Amino acid sequence: MAIRRIEVREKVMAKNDEIAAEVRGALAEAGVPCFNLVSSPGSGKTALLERTLQELGDELRIAVVTGDVQTENDAERLARHTDRLVQAVVTNGACHMDARQIRTALEQVDLAQTDLLIVENVGNLVCPASWDLGETEKIVIFSVTEGEDKPLKYPRMFERSTRAVLSKIDLLPYLPFDTDRAVEFARQVNPELEFFFTSSISGEGLEDWYRFLRDAARHGDGVPA
Amino acid sequence: MHELSLAMDVCRITEENVGRSSLGLVREVGVEVGDRSGVEFGTFEFCLDSLLSAPPFRDARACIQRTPGDELRVTYVEVEDGDPED
Repeated sequence: MAIRRIEVREKVMAKNDEIAAEVRGALAEAGVPCFNLVSSPGSGKTALLERTLQELGDELRIAVVTGDVQTENDAERLARHTDRLVQAVVTNGACHMDARQIRTALEQVDLAQTDLLIVENVGNLVCPASWDLGETEKIVIFSVTEGEDKPLKYPRMFERSTRAVLSKIDLLPYLPFDTDRAVEFARQVNPELEFFFTSSISGEGLEDWYRFLRDAARHGDGVPA
Repeated sequence: MHELSLAMDVCRITEENVGRSSLGLVREVGVEVGDRSGVEFGTFEFCLDSLLSAPPFRDARACIQRTPGDELRVTYVEVEDGDPED
């Protein structure tokens, strides 16, 4: 029986990348920077966003899209701190968010009335690195309760991110965590990585984070690292 | 999960190229996996083989090649010319 060969040459991610480009275009046109927060589960993404919405919510119009494998718990937590709609994306088992979900979520967001879009990705330091959501920048969060060698264990995520937030620094007195070593490991993977050192409980370091968000919103795009 | 969703996308691309009614006639799907694509080769191969051996596919197999770079792409689809109308 004859076998016919069809040449394809199609990138598997082509569909996602196409939609991501569309999202990026819409955000650029509206002058809305978008930060995709990526981390392992429990690093403090939601806590950082809760405090950010609480303290910057009157000043900046921040839209949030949260991704979770199951439940809308994060979106419900964040909704308590803002009058704006917090969009929950339940991935139903998928380990990452994709550009299609962001495009759908943005249908409910009036970009003309938005200064900043923050995506809280699914807690996973592997898969979200591969998916372009149309964001301005990926920002990786890791906490002092994790190992200093997280950047070496998950290099792709640290390579793909432009900034890192080292969270829960109020716990440093109780832990053998070596901050300098963590930063050194991260910069071995990505020498350009800019750091924030924060505690969402004590508020330490948050002013730098807020300054960055304010500047980004003012410029209508990511601020060069 | 990540590898499974990528393998499902390979099946979607295959279907776009041969049509749903011809999926049972697919014999081989050529795929290139970049060594910096973030794809775990063994898991991806297992997921894709599992999908290609179940309906609507029949005796399809994946021919996966590692390549330098960060892209994952479908390179070709081989289909049995069972029905002249296909």
